[in-house]
Amino acid sequence: MSKFIATGTQVSLNGSDISSSCARAELVINAAEVATTDFGSAGWTEVIGGLKSGQVSLDFHSDFGSGAVSALFQDLVGTIGTVVLIAANGTAASATTPAYTAEVLINSFTPIAGAVGDLSTFSVTFPTTGEVSYATA
Amino acid sequence: MSIADIRSGLATNLATISGLRTAPELIDNPSPPVALVNLESVDYDQAYQSGLTLYNFTITVIVGRAAERTMQRKLDSYIQPTGSQSVKVAVESDRSLSGYAQDLRVTNAGSIGSIQINDQTYLAAEFTVTVYA
Repeated sequence: MSKFIATGTQVSLNGSDISSSCARAELVINAAEVATTDFGSAGWTEVIGGLKSGQVSLDFHSDFGSGAVSALFQDLVGTIGTVVLIAANGTAASATTPAYTAEVLINSFTPIAGAVGDLSTFSVTFPTTGEVSYATA
Repeated sequence: MSIADIRSGLATNLATISGLRTAPELIDNPSPPVALVNLESVDYDQAYQSGLTLYNFTITVIVGRAAERTMQRKLDSYIQPTGSQSVKVAVESDRSLSGYAQDLRVTNAGSIGSIQINDQTYLAAEFTVTVYA
């Protein structure tokens, strides 16, 4: 494997492949910092990893066609959805194209956006709920 | 969908202007008034997995010899944003190009003035069209 240009990240929501309407995908996994600084820290702060959390951010081109991305999100606000992202332009999970699966709270949707003359797009950012799994096969 | 399909679709839309000849590609000896479709550039990978490509076309409309008085008015009618002679209205009359495009927009009219073709001076204008496919 080598460095790569992101042209073919696979993005699916609840089993629907929405890659061809997606222009940017980002999955961030965090661990909370829990302070353990004490009198033995020699004047430095000390931390350990706490609870993990995640966030999925996606940019889309609006499309209200039947089964298209805008129609897909329309009725999902307030629900838990399953997002699968396959990295490195892969179409299936492998050691070099890992697949990340996250349950997310679909807490917002912007059906209308864009200035006059611009391609209509919308962006979403969802918090994950539960474990973000990682598959290589 | 091929680039030829897009060219053809643009020419078909332009042909809705009464009296305007159209050519989906550049030709050696255009006979004005005529609209010529030329692909200027392509912007790939606007979405993952080749989900969207931008095709940037220039449509050159040549109206007639610059010396003829009526030609400026004729060119004005092609440049107007509305009306039966408007290039913008005609090109955007079927924004899907019979299903070969997701959308398109005429963004600009420029290079308005005279051009030389076969030792003759003609009035012409260039229209920029972005096709999303």
